[in-house]
Amino acid sequence: MNLAHVHLLLNHWPIIGTFIGLGLFLVSLAANVDDLKQVSLGLFSLIALSAIPTYMSGNGAQEAIKESPGVSMAMIETHQGAALLAVIFMEITGAVSLIALWRFSRTVKNPRLSRPARLNLSAVLALAVVTSGLMAIAGNTGGNIRHPEILSGQEETSIAGAAGAALIASIHHFVIDSSMWVWPILEDLHFIGLILLLGTVGVVNLRILGFFKQLPLAPLHRFIAWGIAGFAVNVITGLLFYLGMPDFYIMNVVFQLKLFTIMLAGAILMLFYCTGAFRALGQLGPGEDAPRFAKFIAASSIVLWIAVIILGRYIPFGEVT
Amino acid sequence: MAVPLIFKTIEESGISTWIRDSPSFFAYWFILSFHALGMGLLVGASVVIDLRILGVARDLPLAPLKGLYGIMWAGFWIQVASGSLLLVAYPTKAFTNPDFYIKLTLIGLAVGAMHKLNKRVFSDSSLSESGMMMKGRALAVWSLVFWTGAVTAGRLLAYTYNYLKYDYRG
Repeated sequence: MNLAHVHLLLNHWPIIGTFIGLGLFLVSLAANVDDLKQVSLGLFSLIALSAIPTYMSGNGAQEAIKESPGVSMAMIETHQGAALLAVIFMEITGAVSLIALWRFSRTVKNPRLSRPARLNLSAVLALAVVTSGLMAIAGNTGGNIRHPEILSGQEETSIAGAAGAALIASIHHFVIDSSMWVWPILEDLHFIGLILLLGTVGVVNLRILGFFKQLPLAPLHRFIAWGIAGFAVNVITGLLFYLGMPDFYIMNVVFQLKLFTIMLAGAILMLFYCTGAFRALGQLGPGEDAPRFAKFIAASSIVLWIAVIILGRYIPFGEVT
Repeated sequence: MAVPLIFKTIEESGISTWIRDSPSFFAYWFILSFHALGMGLLVGASVVIDLRILGVARDLPLAPLKGLYGIMWAGFWIQVASGSLLLVAYPTKAFTNPDFYIKLTLIGLAVGAMHKLNKRVFSDSSLSESGMMMKGRALAVWSLVFWTGAVTAGRLLAYTYNYLKYDYRG
């Protein structure tokens, strides 16, 4: 299996998933069903995660097919540009969804305050609509590369594709050529994001496992917002590293493993929030023991995030020469 | 600047050469990844304590957070051990870089601030929660400042060194 396979395996999910998520979200808003809202928000967050390896495997697919007859580099660049715009908007949609989910998970005495603000949900809706449009363009331009039979005459051009391609070039220039200090500063921010994520997620998970038992869980969970912020910093800086040196990362097995581990950690977390397992935890007072399922999730979360840190540090070891 | 000959002796020792040049999975990158993990524990635990003192998650009882000092010190000793091994691998690289001394100073100041916070705030049972927050406020801010500086200085070591090894100096 090469990265072209991986790209084909992954690339339909974010597009179809965004459409399904948007449909589900519209129904949940119209019917005002909180559970369905949370499922849609969880879906958006998961798609945002899976969109990252989908985009990255595209570089590998490009390597695999660029020499083939009938494949146009211009079409690939248009597709890549459109895909990047779709990814950027998907990440923002995912982040805003995650904030809304976190608000749902808060168990404040006043139930009116424990639900996400109307503005937060409206923002998710608007972003999801824009992202759906961009996903459609990314899908179309991508299909054109290998399916010339669907083209009508000349190569199709796309404004979004051209804008995205220009953005890729300028990000590459910013990260690599603009100053020798950009990369070190991004690295520094990536480490600070790591600290926020590990510190806050770690302390919540340790409490669920039974350490620091005097701490009630609901107020401790406030710290997760800082962990989400750290994770957002690392998604942004991580994408910038990747756009700066895509060839360094895409064939690197350690990097691929790191991404896979992040997906796994994210999927388990979503499972946790969306199955109601968390809601039982919200009531966990001082001295009380968490249910076994929650402990399992907490332990796997700690192990996976530590693995992510170690794999990240090993990326240069996996460099393909 | 004259570089002491002892760095050359260390670099030529078996353990130094092994950490630096061995293709083994457990050599340089293994130690470096533990240095990153130790940082996460040490600074992550400190940051959670600092944020709570500064008013994040105000409903959370403050006193039990003293337990996080255990994680902080575990991280600290991981850093001492892994950091020493990295020094054995690249003594010239570290000791000829002014940034290395800045990093050590900032770590000392940050750990000092956290230690003081433990002694003055967490170990004084006469203080109320708001009393603890008031008394710890300045120390928490300083700790965050020093940690940010220490992590930054540490990260920049990879980009600011003058000589990688004794034999490569100008």
